[in-house]
Amino acid sequence: MTKIEAIIQPSKFESVKSVLLELGIEGMTISDVRGHGRQKGHTEVYRGREYTVDLLPKVKFEIVLPDDLVESTVAAIVKGAATGKIGDGKIFVAKIDDAIRIRNQERGPAAL
Amino acid sequence: MDHGKTEPVRRNVIRPFRWLALRTASAVLALVVLGGTLVPCFAFDGPSPDPAGTATGDRTTTFDAAGNPFVLPPPDPSAPDYAEKKKAYDEFQAQLAKEPLAGKLADQVGHLRIGTNFSWTLLTGYLVLFMQAGFALLTCGLVRKKNAGHLMMLNFAAYVFAFLAYYAVGYAFQFGAVAVNAAPLNLGGAPTLNQFLLGSGQWGFLGGKGFFLSGSAYDAGSLCLALFEVVFMETAGYIIVGAICERITFWAFLLAELCMGALIYPIFGCWVWGGGWLSQLGLSKNLGHGYVDFAGSTVVHAVGGFAAMALAIILGPRLGKYGPDGKSRAFPAHNLVFVVTGTFILLFGWMGFNPGSTLGASDLRISVIAINTNLAAVAGSATALFLWYWMFGKPDVTMACNGMLAGLVAITAPCAFVSPNSSVIIGILAGVLVCLGVLLNDRVLKIDDPCGAISVHGFCGWLGAVCVGIFADGTYGTGWNGVGVSSYLGHAGQGVTGLLHGDAKQFMTQLLGATLCAMWAFGATYGVFWVVNRVKSIRVSPEAELQGLDVPEFGLSSYPEDAPYVLEA
Repeated sequence: MTKIEAIIQPSKFESVKSVLLELGIEGMTISDVRGHGRQKGHTEVYRGREYTVDLLPKVKFEIVLPDDLVESTVAAIVKGAATGKIGDGKIFVAKIDDAIRIRNQERGPAAL
Repeated sequence: MDHGKTEPVRRNVIRPFRWLALRTASAVLALVVLGGTLVPCFAFDGPSPDPAGTATGDRTTTFDAAGNPFVLPPPDPSAPDYAEKKKAYDEFQAQLAKEPLAGKLADQVGHLRIGTNFSWTLLTGYLVLFMQAGFALLTCGLVRKKNAGHLMMLNFAAYVFAFLAYYAVGYAFQFGAVAVNAAPLNLGGAPTLNQFLLGSGQWGFLGGKGFFLSGSAYDAGSLCLALFEVVFMETAGYIIVGAICERITFWAFLLAELCMGALIYPIFGCWVWGGGWLSQLGLSKNLGHGYVDFAGSTVVHAVGGFAAMALAIILGPRLGKYGPDGKSRAFPAHNLVFVVTGTFILLFGWMGFNPGSTLGASDLRISVIAINTNLAAVAGSATALFLWYWMFGKPDVTMACNGMLAGLVAITAPCAFVSPNSSVIIGILAGVLVCLGVLLNDRVLKIDDPCGAISVHGFCGWLGAVCVGIFADGTYGTGWNGVGVSSYLGHAGQGVTGLLHGDAKQFMTQLLGATLCAMWAFGATYGVFWVVNRVKSIRVSPEAELQGLDVPEFGLSSYPEDAPYVLEA
């Protein structure tokens, strides 16, 4: 089992979500996060004093999948989220040791 | 997570002698004040109070449009022209006996006039009360999210505790002698409030009747005035919140509100509105119409603003506000929606604040006042907006709001006496002053003022009173403070006049009174709280301040997403 963490532009949220549903992926956790990669922040002024805004709003998808679906999912997310500009985001892929369904204690890929 | 008290890193060493001394002093003071206030409660010399309002506005207080009484009151036997007045009175009584309907009609008209004015005063007073909500929203939006509940609680508790202090002694100190020199004729005159506790005649310093709104003050007219005046005092009370928030302890704040309601506000208020010495300078020292402040640029706003300044200096800036190089850091507002909504509510409430200060709808100047108020508001906002845009490249929402409030504060004193064009100019001046004031406090004086209260209310309040002395055009205010009843500066019916229309003395008087207000509010507050701070620090611990005061002081978070998880039953 593999976990995909995709951090994307908030404006691409709907596009990525519909792409994932098209692929038949039904389980996902979405959170509002802030951060930056190489994208620099910018300076604003509040009541005459400058301050830096370097944490930008993003949306994070966390999806746990069977290994064979990973590549197609990654390609689909890239298609849905890319704009070609700096700040598009990143996808991280990691191995998951186990998954358990709380309702009936099922384990392993069957729990996904 | 520790939900108990946050332990301060540096313990307050309670020095037993100082604590005992403070407790003893407080007890003695409380006894003196209570004893002193109970005595005048039972003094009933003079007219009887009219709690049911049935005798207020009867035939002896009916006036025509030019201010002449319809019916002569029974003449005073000790007056020098008694014989003449008695003759006129007897003739009138004889005529009245022949035309009883005319007398009854005068009764009804008088009562109706007073009833209209009561409605006006009370309803505009409720609008001013609503400004509490506006200021609460404004200040809450301007601070950081972790202090939202703290700001709301300060604004709420301000209303509660300042009101109680004002009920107990504040109203009596301010208006206990109002009938001597400044009777509110539109409300029936409040004739029972006729005694100074300190001073007398044209040199009154403190009123002495109406403690606990009882005795002489338990009267329909007096309590109508009291409602209107208490909400004005509340305005001064919540202004200080804007500068002391995010780091003051709750108990110190309550003490500040009690002081404001009992002493700081009413004392200056007595001098200007309660028939006290500042208002009588026109008669006592030939200084124009005496010190004039129509709706309270100084009595309310400057008192609040400069008291806020004193407290902000004693408290010191918020942690992290000033860096090691002395440069300030931005603490951006957490909710601009609250800021703008709050500002609009304040604007709406100001429609009660200024026009209501006529204390009567029978005074048709109310329309001019309403227009002048709005013009200064929008001129102030536009000026602040453009000035800030020119200086910093983007229009700042919070400065646009502060600009509007600055214009409102500055027009509050002159609104009844100036023209619409002058109101626009006053708004522009206020817009510039508030911008410069914010930068001055932030960069030069290094006084941390989270909501700009010192600049908006203190500096622009002073400006407003001075503007009376510059722009007043004489079209209103005939006989103000008893000066120039028949003619002023050679013209019959000439009202309050400023420098630009030929009255330099008024300008000097305004300058004097406004500056005195700043000194009084700053000095009295600084004096009291410098002592209090030495006994026990009025600032929260650094841990509590960094955490945000919602949880350490009140045990609750303000927003749903921060709330503790609910345990299922």
